[in-house]
Amino acid sequence: MPSPNRAIIAAAGARKTQMVVDGALSDPERRVLVSTYTNDNLDRIRRRLGNEAGVVPANVEVMPWMTLLLREGANPYQSTVFGEPGLIEGVNFDHGTPRYAKRGTRRYYLDHSRNVYGDVLSDLACRANEDSGGEVIRRLEAIYDHIYIDEVQDLVGWDLEFLDLLFRSQIGVTVVGDPRQHILFTNRRSKNKKYRGSEIAEWIAERTSLCEVEIRADSFRCNQPLCDFASGLFPQMEAMQSIENVLSGHDGIFEIAEDEVADYIERYRPLVLRHNKKSKTLGNAAINIGLAKGSTWDRVLIFPTKPMREYLAHQDPTKLKAPERLYVAVTRARYSAAFVV
Amino acid sequence: MLKKIHIENYRVFKTFDLDFRDGLNVLVGDNDSGKTTVLEAVHLALTSRLRGRLIAHDLSPHLVNQVAARRYLDAVHGGATEPPPEIIIDLYLEEREETAFLKGTNNTAMENACGLRVKMSFSEDFSEEYQRLLEKPQEIRLVPTEYYRLEWRSFANNAVTARSVPISLSYIDASSIRLQSGADRYVEQIINQQLNPAERAELARAYRTLRESFADDDAIEAINTRLSESQDDLTDKELSLSVDVSQKASWESNLVPHLDDLPFQYIGSGDQAALKILLALQHSADRCHLVLIEEPENHQSPTSLGSLIKKVAEHCEDMQVVATTHSSFVLNKLGLDRLILIGRDAGLPITGLPAETLDYFKKLPGYETLRAVLAKRVILVEGPSDELVVQRAYLDAHGCMPSEDGVAVLTCGLSFKRFLSITKPLGIPTAVVTDNDGRDPQELRDKYEALGATTVHIGELDGGVTLEPQIVSANELATLNDLFGTNHADGDALCAYMKDNKTICALAIFEAENGCKLPAYLADAVAK
Repeated sequence: MPSPNRAIIAAAGARKTQMVVDGALSDPERRVLVSTYTNDNLDRIRRRLGNEAGVVPANVEVMPWMTLLLREGANPYQSTVFGEPGLIEGVNFDHGTPRYAKRGTRRYYLDHSRNVYGDVLSDLACRANEDSGGEVIRRLEAIYDHIYIDEVQDLVGWDLEFLDLLFRSQIGVTVVGDPRQHILFTNRRSKNKKYRGSEIAEWIAERTSLCEVEIRADSFRCNQPLCDFASGLFPQMEAMQSIENVLSGHDGIFEIAEDEVADYIERYRPLVLRHNKKSKTLGNAAINIGLAKGSTWDRVLIFPTKPMREYLAHQDPTKLKAPERLYVAVTRARYSAAFVV
Repeated sequence: MLKKIHIENYRVFKTFDLDFRDGLNVLVGDNDSGKTTVLEAVHLALTSRLRGRLIAHDLSPHLVNQVAARRYLDAVHGGATEPPPEIIIDLYLEEREETAFLKGTNNTAMENACGLRVKMSFSEDFSEEYQRLLEKPQEIRLVPTEYYRLEWRSFANNAVTARSVPISLSYIDASSIRLQSGADRYVEQIINQQLNPAERAELARAYRTLRESFADDDAIEAINTRLSESQDDLTDKELSLSVDVSQKASWESNLVPHLDDLPFQYIGSGDQAALKILLALQHSADRCHLVLIEEPENHQSPTSLGSLIKKVAEHCEDMQVVATTHSSFVLNKLGLDRLILIGRDAGLPITGLPAETLDYFKKLPGYETLRAVLAKRVILVEGPSDELVVQRAYLDAHGCMPSEDGVAVLTCGLSFKRFLSITKPLGIPTAVVTDNDGRDPQELRDKYEALGATTVHIGELDGGVTLEPQIVSANELATLNDLFGTNHADGDALCAYMKDNKTICALAIFEAENGCKLPAYLADAVAK
């Protein structure tokens, strides 16, 4: 009988990562793997898993998702796909599989230096499992008792196929994520467009027989005005509740003019966020919204994109193509989010 | 733990396969057959080190099998395109919880197993340089290992590190005892493995305290005061004497194990070797410990070898040990069933040995079983005089000593049956030469053939019942009288003399310039 799996869908600031950390440390007898898509988040998890000396317990292994796919997915049984052992050198993150290569062929998976194209790595992991008659998963069953995956909303296409294999294995799997925080990574193409972004919730909903689903709309981080704004972006999901609702005297959503930016930064010291490096920030140091995921600040100052500005004006989420970015930006803050308009 | 090994193009092996057994494995073979190479390959796959150095820094053309190298060079010189030969070592491990992550099909056989793989092959990073080299193929004299790279991976194709390998290892080479300052490196390693981390830390702390207290000694303080006063003009900094307390000067390099109060390097080489082996065997509690021993018989007197081997055999019940040996004594004592004969392309275990045979040679370990095992052909004789005469017969027939042809003439007393039970399963042609002792030769022939003898050589009854009368019947009386410097009146007297002086007469025959005629059945026995 497969081990009990859990899926926790939680709002920003629900202490999702802490759930992963607590779970991973709960039983020193279990051999545990913790994985997530971004290195930043992985570092955060690793720091929290460490004891006072910063040492992660020996029964817990921490591995980026792509490394998991390469080391434990594609590598061990590559010979069943390619007919030759030891071909794969690494991962090619710069290029995708050639447009006209046929799925399943060597040219489809490997470049000239025998690196796997990053966008088909999870495809190859699934393929190796299939071609080896399930050995990839059997091997993992012999190594790990439980696998935790944080920020599961970052997984797309074949990643989800591989996750499905894990769900159906003897290994216990706990996935934690927030569909509202899905930000598509530009170096990945989704072959399976059905479950993109927010639809991880749908993917999980189809697997209630395989896992116990838990929805948490509470936020430890954001106060109620921010929660309300964030909830407005995803009317189809349960509205967020602030647990402590701490107010600081400058709370909720603000709009400021460009000539007020310098004073505002001076006064409130917000984290300055931008869409990407092409966004104009009036010379202020800023970080991309996507990279701010997982972090917490008192206040943020956002240089919005045009669709975001329109949303601020009309509050119509159906017009917003990527509500995830706006959601991530606003929910970084405990007290206030200001937009430069 | 170790299940099997597959080797390609490494040293003497073009391709080589060997299955390990649990417990004890005794590798035997002629010189240069590759016994040591097998141990080396195991060590290499588990550590990526060769004689203490990382192999990645030491890729040398001499690691490449000569046949493979020749083939490559001939092809290149002939203008053909032949890829430089790859060295591969696939070491298969038993599947356990701690080895599960090493599982996969990335080995030459593409077998789904746990294991480690060392591969030395041409690195495509050097394609350009290599292409330029190929423009003048005659200048390529050796395999261009400077363009090689080393990969040390699991069968899951993931890079491994010394820390991630779940097997600890003691490699004891008793044949060469290297002395260094302080403790011998091997002993140092072995002692280090004996101590748990807490004990190691305690030892390091005690050692540092000891050195620090040296500087506080009154005499040392006085000396240091004087030194700082008698400052010369060389430097204006203060000069003092102290002990190096840096990490580099750790206890390992300064503490010396003592045996009966003698520092380790002053005890005899025999005891040193024995101590190393015994220390390594102390690991019995650890399931994942492997011991490789090269020629434990070195530096040992027969007595001490006996007790050492007894201890080795005891420990091997719960630990895997791979040992090489040149000693029949070691082989007999450890058990002939543990033998693995190193052939050109495979390790041949011996199977189907009767339990009585094993037991027999354990109790009588003096028999030269190893010579039988390693011979191309065996001639079994009863006693030392038969051995001498048969050797002479061989020399007369072929112009050289049997050993030069790989033929072993073995004295086995009344143990024909025991020796035949070894040579038969190994498929070694074995001739039995024996006296008829007054019995029907055909009956005896049938008996020994049934036991596995390839041929049986017995003098006919009319030639006499033992070797001596057979020799007398084959020769003129005068020839033998000349040979022995005797003056016997008839055959019976001569026979009686020969029986009383068996070995002396046999030696005389063996050494004689012109020799004498030897009975026909001996000529048959030595015929190729």
